[in-house]
Amino acid sequence: MTAPPGSLLAAHGLRKTYGPTTALDGAEFSIHPGEVVAVMGPSGSGKSTLLHCLAGIVTPDSGSITYDGRELTTMSDAERSALRRSEFGFVFQFGQLVPELTCVENVALPLRLNGTARKEAERAALAWMERLEVDDLARKRPGEVSGGQGQRVAVARALVTNPRLLFADEPTGALDSLNGERVMELLTDAARSANAAVVLVTHEARVAAYSDREIVVRDGKSRDMERLV
Amino acid sequence: MSARPSPATAPTEALRAAPSIPQWARDLRMGAKFAVTGGREGWVRLLLTAVGVGLGVALLLLTTAIPSALAVRHQRDQDRQDYTYGPQRPKAANTLVIGDADTSYHGKDVRGRLVEPEGPRAPIAPGLTGYPAPGDMVVSPALKELLDSGDGRLLRERLPYRIVGTIGESGLIGSHELAYYAGAKNLAPRINGWQTARITEFGPQQPARAESPDPVLLLLVLVVFVVLLMPVAVFIAAAVRFGGERRDRRLAALRLVGSDSHMTRRIAAGEALAGSLVGLVFGTVFFLLGRQLAGSVEVMDVSVFPSYLNPAPALAALVAVAVPAAAVLVTLFALRGVVIEPLGVVRTARPRRRRLWWRLLLPLGGLAMLAPMIGQGRTNGSFNEYLVIGGVLLLLVGVTALLPWVVESVVARLGNGGVAWQLAVRRLQLSSGSAARMVNGIAVAVAGAIAMQMLLAGVQDDYTKSTGQDTERVQMQVSLPRGVPLIPAAEKFTTTRGVRKVTALGTAELADRTWQRGKEPNAATQLTVGTCASLREVARLPSCRDGDVFVSTGGDTDGDAVKLARPGRVLHLDTSNGPDAGRDAVWTVPARLKQARTITGPIGDTSGGLLLTPAAADAQVNRTLSGSVYLGVDDSVPDAHEYVRNTAAAVDPLANAALWASTERSTQFTSIRTGLFVGAVCVLALIGASLLVSQLEQLRERRRLLSALVAFGTRRRTLSLSVLWQTAIPIALGLLLSSAVGLTLGVVLLKMVGATVSVDWPSVLSMTGVGAGVVLAVTLLSLPPLLRLMRPEGLRTE
Repeated sequence: MTAPPGSLLAAHGLRKTYGPTTALDGAEFSIHPGEVVAVMGPSGSGKSTLLHCLAGIVTPDSGSITYDGRELTTMSDAERSALRRSEFGFVFQFGQLVPELTCVENVALPLRLNGTARKEAERAALAWMERLEVDDLARKRPGEVSGGQGQRVAVARALVTNPRLLFADEPTGALDSLNGERVMELLTDAARSANAAVVLVTHEARVAAYSDREIVVRDGKSRDMERLV
Repeated sequence: MSARPSPATAPTEALRAAPSIPQWARDLRMGAKFAVTGGREGWVRLLLTAVGVGLGVALLLLTTAIPSALAVRHQRDQDRQDYTYGPQRPKAANTLVIGDADTSYHGKDVRGRLVEPEGPRAPIAPGLTGYPAPGDMVVSPALKELLDSGDGRLLRERLPYRIVGTIGESGLIGSHELAYYAGAKNLAPRINGWQTARITEFGPQQPARAESPDPVLLLLVLVVFVVLLMPVAVFIAAAVRFGGERRDRRLAALRLVGSDSHMTRRIAAGEALAGSLVGLVFGTVFFLLGRQLAGSVEVMDVSVFPSYLNPAPALAALVAVAVPAAAVLVTLFALRGVVIEPLGVVRTARPRRRRLWWRLLLPLGGLAMLAPMIGQGRTNGSFNEYLVIGGVLLLLVGVTALLPWVVESVVARLGNGGVAWQLAVRRLQLSSGSAARMVNGIAVAVAGAIAMQMLLAGVQDDYTKSTGQDTERVQMQVSLPRGVPLIPAAEKFTTTRGVRKVTALGTAELADRTWQRGKEPNAATQLTVGTCASLREVARLPSCRDGDVFVSTGGDTDGDAVKLARPGRVLHLDTSNGPDAGRDAVWTVPARLKQARTITGPIGDTSGGLLLTPAAADAQVNRTLSGSVYLGVDDSVPDAHEYVRNTAAAVDPLANAALWASTERSTQFTSIRTGLFVGAVCVLALIGASLLVSQLEQLRERRRLLSALVAFGTRRRTLSLSVLWQTAIPIALGLLLSSAVGLTLGVVLLKMVGATVSVDWPSVLSMTGVGAGVVLAVTLLSLPPLLRLMRPEGLRTE
């Protein structure tokens, strides 16, 4: 099956099992450039697995994933790593910032992995940190900042390479509602201004409210929902 | 109103009180309970600690058993001593004639004895129940195994006796010793006062005198023990901290339910205590297994029976007390800078900058303890044992104290590089203590080994004598017992595989009077018999034909050759030993004598005297000759030395074939070097194992982060390289520091014994190389788990 016209990333018939557990059972997905899509579902429904498959972190057992006309499932690990480095950005719930690097070094890390010189990378990193209102934390280490600040640093890191697609897995899961909302505002605003599409995995309706469209995953199957406005 | 506190306030009040012994016991017990109730993960952590501590304890127990093992070996060697230099005795019902037929095979010594009991009460050698008949032999189990195997084919040819029994353990000094007793007949005429003798008992002739040990050798032994045990102690200290990070997180949960920080530390110490106690049990089991295993291995020609290895009870008790106590203290010490907060978060207090002054005090204190002994040398005698041990110990402990400061100071100044470098450097900057701890053991072992190598190299000259043997000219020498026909024997060697050149010379002593007791000769010289070609090896001859006799002069020891060499004079041959013992044998100086000039002979001496070609030597002369066959051997021929030894044994079982060496080492010196080598290898292997465990533990702790880094495209190569840098930087610093401390200690030790101070760079480089090799091996071994941990599964939370 071909990807929906104009889509940046599309998946069809994804199946993935972990031992006896079926995580995905024919899931479908598509996202257009600049679009924010929330993937919702209860705990254990397979939404994180869907995100991992879409991002090329995990290879599905069957099904196809097309990114910008290229089949992701047939790419080598090195090709998928290069794609993640240059075109994708990631925000996870926790445990993503390197504790021994300062915040600005953490944000600059993806650029440095792409070969950008340190000073240039850190300049770009500072600019993004400014946009996410955490530039004052530049020289602090992750252990010295609060959870909300850490997530904003992580968002800056995800956007610093100007990705075309941002994957966010429960980005506010470890934050209180006030901090969570602020992070979501900054994340979606920054992504939209950079014309980056966002795949947002969450189980919270108020977080999903920042998306343009919602997909519900249940028992490994996905269903496109009409947005209630 | 009742004074009983309410349940809500009771714990608080208990916590406020100063910790009493029961409180300590309660907390330690609770910690010990946590150690075994943590589910699978808890058991794994306990197991790791116990295995680590167990390995260290086993090594400590082994060390405490070494003195007793050496004593038993020595005693058994004494008990079987057959003193062949004693007075000549008449044949009796209680006499045994015994001949030393030692040989060697593929570089291993074979203790051989030819025996002929002369009466029913002949002494029985330890380990035997009776003597084999002529043509039979009893052998050690290791020799039997060797002779039965294909590897022993050439030795079987050399020992053509029928095996009729086995030597018991009491007659052997090691499980791998190669030894035999072969029955012989007509040995009595071969009694010569050194190789073959008539004895009435085994064992030392006189009680061994308590010799005061050479102070330099004593110093070496003391330092070897300190050098080897110190890293084991460091290793044990590291082992009780396995799983520390996760444990700290668990302790935070205890804080949440009301445990104060002191209590938490005591509970943590209790966990370590449990690990160390299980480690003691493991260590005992490892030791017992190792003890059995020790019977089946041989290191550098030294083997022991398991029964030899009995730890000294006092030292074993000390280990049993010191190890758990150390576990508690190390844990309390390690947690002093850690703030465990109640909210499930363990936050290391912002590390205080490490201070140098007290760290420097340790090595300086060590130097101060050693300083008074500088310049004493071996002639001035004793070194104070306590000052030596204390001084060396403080210097080596100084390495462990200085290293964290060095690592911290250096990594703080390291600049930015590639991503892998940056990740590694930043990690070290954040927490250099654990990295330094990992390297401490290796640094101490390397520092000690460098110092020892320097000391050994420095005193080597004092303990190594030049044999004067010219190994370019001759590679082997076969000494034939007196009376063995020389020329036929020499011919057998010319046809032996691998032999290039044969020089056969027989010697006897000639004098103006009989050699009978009480009538010592006034003038004597040496008589040498050989072919013209052989005589040309010891003298420059004008011309030579069989039947010629020469007077060779110009050497260092010509004796009274010129005085005695008068044509027609009757001279007396030395018959104090050998087949003609006690008889007077004479030789008449012939009418025609030729002059010769003595040159340096094969054994490096210049001995003159009378030189006889074979036709000039009559039967009487031949019966008194002690023959030596000097052989040029082609070392490229496989087993050439064994073929020579086989020919020697075929000529006469008591013929002694020896491989020449240009130097001869003191055996004590060799055993210390052996001890150091074996110990250093064991310790480094042990530390390598501990490094690997720590490395894997750290990687497991970072599993989620590693997966996240890979998720956003970090190359696995980058992360692997970062792990390598993370290990390599502290290791490089550790090796630099250990080289500096090792060289300093080496210089001090050399000055103490008064030897010339010189750095044995090959040893320094090889020791640091071995240390670096261990780290490289550990890094390589940790790469597969690292790659596994970088899989995306690490991101899964459900």
